[in-house]
Amino acid sequence: CPGGNCQMPLQELFDRVIMLSHYIYMLSADMFIELDKQYAQDHEFIAKAISDCPTSSLATPEGKEEAQQVPPEVLLNLILSLVHSWNDPLFQLVTEVDGIHEASDAIISRAKEIGEQNKRLLEGIEKILGQAYPEAKGNEIYSVWSQFPSLQGVDEESRDLAIYNKVRCLRRDSHKVDNYLKLLRCRVVHNNNC
Amino acid sequence: LFLNISLLNGQSPPGKPEIHKCRSPDKETFTCWWNPGTDGGLPTNYSLTYSKEGEKTTHECPDYKTSGPNSCFFSKQYTSIWKIYVITVNATNQMGSSASDPLYVDVTYIVEPEPPRNLTLEVKQLKDKKTYLWIKWSPPTITDVKTGWFTMEYEIRLKSEEADEWETHFTGQQTHFKVFDLYPGQKYFVQTRCKPDHGYWSRWGQENSIEIPNDFTLKNTTVWII
Repeated sequence: CPGGNCQMPLQELFDRVIMLSHYIYMLSADMFIELDKQYAQDHEFIAKAISDCPTSSLATPEGKEEAQQVPPEVLLNLILSLVHSWNDPLFQLVTEVDGIHEASDAIISRAKEIGEQNKRLLEGIEKILGQAYPEAKGNEIYSVWSQFPSLQGVDEESRDLAIYNKVRCLRRDSHKVDNYLKLLRCRVVHNNNC
Repeated sequence: LFLNISLLNGQSPPGKPEIHKCRSPDKETFTCWWNPGTDGGLPTNYSLTYSKEGEKTTHECPDYKTSGPNSCFFSKQYTSIWKIYVITVNATNQMGSSASDPLYVDVTYIVEPEPPRNLTLEVKQLKDKKTYLWIKWSPPTITDVKTGWFTMEYEIRLKSEEADEWETHFTGQQTHFKVFDLYPGQKYFVQTRCKPDHGYWSRWGQENSIEIPNDFTLKNTTVWII
């Protein structure tokens, strides 16, 4: 490259990262829909299943206005934490669901794929941070996931409830990540005029 | 005795209300509507109560007026888009009360925008004199596309006055579209609709129409008669 400067334009970086986050969202949405087919009519099950998300303790902006007030580099680090936090639970999901659940194949293959794609997504976001906000890179990235108790040996219902809630949370978090990245792209690259 | 009275004068507790739809047009506010059910022949009061994921308290609907009868509007202040709402409608009259089944609402998954606006049609010509229909439109006013809060995709459909079926084209994020190979002398009707990246299609927007001129190509084409 001319002058040894091989940086990819920020717009290109954002576009690539968002293609990934969108794909990950679609995978997690598919996964949830697949699982939800079994329970959609079972209000009692859903009421019992909905509990805290593994990433609940990570304070992310509530809505659009709040998200826009957060400096881009802070929001990027938050996104990084959110994605990073799903590494272990995804792995856990694959091992827990294996062979014990009706929808297990659909869940396992997608959970594996999401795990793979999340790694690329992390790399992409780190690249954006390193390029546009080198001073903020590596600030406050943490994983909030406290190893959830293993589901081996618990009764069938508790296990199904936990799996349902986890997949529900995964869909929400991948939606958040995708939405916040799209907000950031317009703000950072297009000056809020997408 | 109680039952007898209710049978004699035709009065009874209200029937079970049903929440039939919740919708957010902008991912910042939302509305839920319910079917009231029978009133048991008595003046019946309806109330909507909800609790949010992770909270123990139950709240009452903040605004029964804005979205019309049998509805509850949640303004920005009352809308958390990343939380599940558990919503119930209660009906009460002198004889008793009944409650709907609870509905679990995740605001991000009930997003249905308004249709696109400013649909403009124009017959244009390429350099080689080929004519085409130029269609353009704008995103719906209340959805915020500029900041990236919404990523909107569109569909257009068109139909000549003699055709029975619509011809539909997906245009992606593009807010304009060219259609070639139209029949001269025919009138075409066009509509658009939009869908956020993670939401539902809007209804089709207002219909607009244009006539493809008969002489458009002739006028601009040199015909050699040898």
